[in-house]
Amino acid sequence: MGRTSQSQSIRICCPDKKALIQIPSALSDELILFKKVLKLMGNRFEISVLSDNNIYADDCIQSVVVEIQRIESLLTTFREDSETNLINKYAGISPVKVCSEIYDLICRCRRISELTQGAFDITYGSIDKRFWNFDLNMTELPDAELAKETVRLVNYRNIILNDQNKTVFLKEKGMRIGFGGIGKGYAAERAKLLLKHQGIKSGIVNAAGDLTAWGFQSSGQPWTIGIADPESRNQPFSTLNITDAAVATSGNYEKFAVIRGKKYSHTIDPKTGFPVSGIKSVTIICPNAEFADAMATPVMIMGAKVGLGMINQMQKIACIIIDDSNQIHTSNNIKLAR
Amino acid sequence: MKKIYLGVAFLYLSVLGAFAQTDSTENSLYKNRKLKVEEANFVSSYYHQEGNNSAVTGGIGTEKLSDFANSFDVTLTRFDKTNRLHTFDFEFGVDHYTSASSDKIDPTTISSASAADTRIYPSVNWSVKDDIKHYSFGAGASYSQEYDYSSIGGNINFSKFSKDNNRELGIKLMAFLDSWKVIYPIELRGNLGNGGYKPRNSFNASFSLSQIINTRLQMSMLLDLAYQQGQLGTLYQRVYFRDNSVHAEKLPESRFKIPLGLRLNYFAGDRFIIRSLYRFYTDDWGINAHSIEMEAPYKITPFFSLSPFYRYYTQTSADQFAGFQQHTSQHNFYSSDYDLSKFTSQYAGLNLRFTSTDGILGMKKFNTFELRYGHYNRSNGLNSNNITLALKFK
Repeated sequence: MGRTSQSQSIRICCPDKKALIQIPSALSDELILFKKVLKLMGNRFEISVLSDNNIYADDCIQSVVVEIQRIESLLTTFREDSETNLINKYAGISPVKVCSEIYDLICRCRRISELTQGAFDITYGSIDKRFWNFDLNMTELPDAELAKETVRLVNYRNIILNDQNKTVFLKEKGMRIGFGGIGKGYAAERAKLLLKHQGIKSGIVNAAGDLTAWGFQSSGQPWTIGIADPESRNQPFSTLNITDAAVATSGNYEKFAVIRGKKYSHTIDPKTGFPVSGIKSVTIICPNAEFADAMATPVMIMGAKVGLGMINQMQKIACIIIDDSNQIHTSNNIKLAR
Repeated sequence: MKKIYLGVAFLYLSVLGAFAQTDSTENSLYKNRKLKVEEANFVSSYYHQEGNNSAVTGGIGTEKLSDFANSFDVTLTRFDKTNRLHTFDFEFGVDHYTSASSDKIDPTTISSASAADTRIYPSVNWSVKDDIKHYSFGAGASYSQEYDYSSIGGNINFSKFSKDNNRELGIKLMAFLDSWKVIYPIELRGNLGNGGYKPRNSFNASFSLSQIINTRLQMSMLLDLAYQQGQLGTLYQRVYFRDNSVHAEKLPESRFKIPLGLRLNYFAGDRFIIRSLYRFYTDDWGINAHSIEMEAPYKITPFFSLSPFYRYYTQTSADQFAGFQQHTSQHNFYSSDYDLSKFTSQYAGLNLRFTSTDGILGMKKFNTFELRYGHYNRSNGLNSNNITLALKFK
């Protein structure tokens, strides 16, 4: 539900087909792209690394698997004893001491909440799921008062952080946090760092559409990323070349309901409790996959005008929006070529 | 007076309010605001926040961000200047086939071009889709030529979508102006003259209504009115009368056909689709037919799919048909073409499709490769196997 699994849409236009077909030898001078598809954090991760040694490349990818599983065990809300769930368990009762990794992540989340006027909010987990069983067969919008009631516990300002003791306290009983809107990007970014530390100079980590690419293809060219066409998601509607950049897309075209002729996405506005409508997909390009992942959904919630107004004032970030009538809106630093 | 004035003002405001709400990409709870300097530099300072000296360790370490591009060139593949979705297709079909029977037109020719015709039929199609006004419009042209046959085709189509895009009404008008070389059976060439081309024109009007029932099930109804006129009989087909005389096939100069179809597509998952079609057909030559078709494409990878297909077909005989030595000179029209006889047929096979956005065999424009094998079986004894290759270029 909500922000967890929306960004399935970016596809790498297979960067170097020859390299994939070739059977790599253990040692050769040539840089070859090794690619592995893994199921991690309940999502499809695709890890591609450029290396001249398949055994080493495989070891590196294996280390990524271990790292992402570790992150999953920290961030998951599906396990009772994860640090995240301990914070939730003691909501309204007492502060919980957490490791600095989670503490810092929550700090970053809070800053993103402030930046996006609350459109991004990790206390989104507090939403009453029994009520908002959002599915495709929905035919009526809920009453506005009722909807608002479901998000009464959603408020990032009620996360009380203590910098000295590294404690997190959720002020209201019943409040819950979750990292569905940022976790995949965080994992992708960690994976990239780990691979870079192991000497992998070029690669792509694609965490179910939240991808981060560094270095160049074996041909020396930057990576070509296709952004899926919301109309037919196996076709890219556009492509762009990147290096040392991350791309994330949030879209409502995979899960939505049509209520009285209007399309509503499965993304819920944390301020109203209502599903968002009007935008089909938001793509964020910036150097960091965690931030790209975190920003795509809030821009969709804020709307094209306010969202782009914010992005346009920021450095090192770009945005492409497709609205429900297939109009493209972009930040000023995007040049569209036809 | 004052009261009335206020009332009008209130009404005016509420109209404005309603108007503002229709701009559906905006959410009034979020405001345009000027960002603070540190917010504008959010990305660069993502792991280094002023006033928070806590370990950056949980973060990912320092990233060199200075070389991040100032702007991005995004290549749009499918939108025009007013952001309407355009689709251009250029299809270049190659259909290599051999046929044993066409050699018997003139048995003294041992080998003729017809034994292995290569059909080449390019076509150009253009369409534009306007999502604001909920319509699409398209036009296309095609040309095909075989050694005994040439065809110029044109079509225009128009579709109107419902607001939620779940219902679509389509109209397509097509015309094919064909010309084909008259070839009589050799023993009849003296009497009937030889050579020359005769026209055969076809006009089609297709109406379709498609409806998305839910996310998995789609339905469409199709009505195809077709009118053909010109030389409809195949003159090199012999008809033997009861008195053993030989004649060239003779059929009416016009034919009106009404097929009516119902199509149901079921999306069983991301990889698996079941397509089905029922079709009823009737024409003014006396043929009534029913057919049922099923196809189940399965995607093995996003680029590679396999689809088994099956078709069952049954029809009644045309008024003009009679078998070998069944016709008499009483008949105005006569044909022994078993396509016009009463029969049932089955067609089953497998379609293999490979697509690549990067191009196949290093050719960027070559993006689809399709191979189809089918086995065809007809109750009156016609069996065939065929292999079709289709290549698609962007």
